[in-house]
Amino acid sequence: MSSNTLQLKGLSRRFGNVLALDDFHLSLGVGELVALLGPSGCGKTTALRIVAGLEKEDSGQVILGDRDITNVPAHQRNMGMVFQAYSLFPNLTVEENVAFGLQMRKVDKEKRLKKAHELLDLVGLDSQSKRYPHQLSGGQQQRVALARALAFQPDVLLLDEPLSALDAQVRTNLREEIRRLQLSLGTTTLFVTHDQEEAMAISDRVGVMSHGKLEQIASPDTLYNEPATAFVAGFVGTMNRVITQLKNGKVSIFGQAVSAKPSDVTEGEVIALIRPEKVSVKTSGAGANATVLTRSFLGASSQITCRTTDGSIIQALTGSHESGELHPGSQVMLEVTSDEVLISHV
Amino acid sequence: MAALKKRSITQSISGLLLLLIGVLIALPLVGAAEFSLRDGGRDKHSFKSYAWIFQQADFITNAVTTIEIAVVAVLVTFILMVPTVAWLHIYGKRYIKFVEVLTVLPLIIPVVALATGAALALPAWLQSTKYVLSMMYVVLAMPFTFRALDIGMRGVQLEILVAAGRNLGAPWRAVILKVITPVILPSIFAALFLTVALSLGEFTLAQLLHWTTFPTWVAVAAQGNILGATALSVGSLLTAWVLLFSFTFFDRKKTNHQEEE
Repeated sequence: MSSNTLQLKGLSRRFGNVLALDDFHLSLGVGELVALLGPSGCGKTTALRIVAGLEKEDSGQVILGDRDITNVPAHQRNMGMVFQAYSLFPNLTVEENVAFGLQMRKVDKEKRLKKAHELLDLVGLDSQSKRYPHQLSGGQQQRVALARALAFQPDVLLLDEPLSALDAQVRTNLREEIRRLQLSLGTTTLFVTHDQEEAMAISDRVGVMSHGKLEQIASPDTLYNEPATAFVAGFVGTMNRVITQLKNGKVSIFGQAVSAKPSDVTEGEVIALIRPEKVSVKTSGAGANATVLTRSFLGASSQITCRTTDGSIIQALTGSHESGELHPGSQVMLEVTSDEVLISHV
Repeated sequence: MAALKKRSITQSISGLLLLLIGVLIALPLVGAAEFSLRDGGRDKHSFKSYAWIFQQADFITNAVTTIEIAVVAVLVTFILMVPTVAWLHIYGKRYIKFVEVLTVLPLIIPVVALATGAALALPAWLQSTKYVLSMMYVVLAMPFTFRALDIGMRGVQLEILVAAGRNLGAPWRAVILKVITPVILPSIFAALFLTVALSLGEFTLAQLLHWTTFPTWVAVAAQGNILGATALSVGSLLTAWVLLFSFTFFDRKKTNHQEEE
């Protein structure tokens, strides 16, 4: 497998007044799957299209291995790409679609069809090889698109929100399949998505983007537990936001003094950010008084939404067996169970 | 029940309208065909007038001239219009409305103005050959060819298909020939057929620019033998229809073939 490293150096791209990419840097190791995550318009798709050569950067470089490919045209970049939807050639059969990349590389017919069947077998669609794209379901079409993107052994696999047009169940299955294939083939992969669950589930590292810049890039664990900025904290997972006072490095939450993680804010009014699973809900004992508004049963855990006496809405995640007696209207006590909380400007 | 009744009423009205239109179109044609088969009087019919056509020395010459003009018009339409409309759909979506309005101009501008204006704007070497008509026919057919191609490309996500093709290693030439063309083949055929139909039947511009083509020759021949001229018109119309039907049949067959597999 001809997998390779990929580096983006200082990419900038402006569309009219919008700076889609602003001195953007990113580097992928061999066989690594990196997701770019962010709200629409944050520049993630632009970055991917520049890597593919489908979009031109205003400045910056794209380096594949030790080769500068900034000025190499798209069709010579040897990168496989899976698009959002409708990217299969409607006039070609499934096997012809998968073999297309090899056909363009002048591989003879017998060999390329053999390779196509190999890939179709990997995505479990070899039996559909003589069908046309419109005869397949959305999930099957994306599987074929994935096989097509991998058939010519690309240096890098590019995924442009490949799951966003699919049903929830299909989406979950296919993302596992993408990861399984990617790991077994060892293909360096750049995955663009706006779905944080998707990004966290299958990536080695996730880069959270905002306004054309990387806010933070880290493993899913680090991103979730140690978000570098309030934007990342808010974008990845659920966060409670409690307005409080910062004094001597401590904030007061639910009447408790909790250490604040070091940040550029030193004193005064701040927002403390607390994950739902770091809030304990008890019917007695110490803590802040609150009233249960709803309890959503999620299986092993339950999500409790409460209103404190000062009117703020707090979400807590508890084990379902511990919160069985809680109902809307129940009076409860809230406590923070972490030693340190993230704070941000009001 | 009421809805069903309403629907059947709408259906019978549209059926009636279709029949009416069919009769309106068919009646003159059937009349012309019958007239062209007359031999001396109302009651005697033969293919005499059709035989007369082939006895005319100029028939083949003028038919060939018109076919040559049509072939060049088709080639120019293909080379000019397909990439242009494709480009608009891939990179220039915001210009499509503007171009759409632009392509209607040949319908609005009087043919005389086209003959004295547009034709004169072409290079001198071109103006001195009959292929000046091909160029003008490309322009005259543009309102129809543009729409045929535009509708065909709207139906597919051309932008994504082109990006996929490029990504899979296709240079631009291959993108046009292997990705765009096969996908919109039916609408390319439709556009080219419209160009052929227009080129075969156009009279005014050829006359104004003093070229003898098949239609202008028919007009002259009609003055000498009205039955023969009618036979000519019916014959060329039938040829065009056979072309049209064989094309639609071919297209239909191909689609069915895909469904079955």
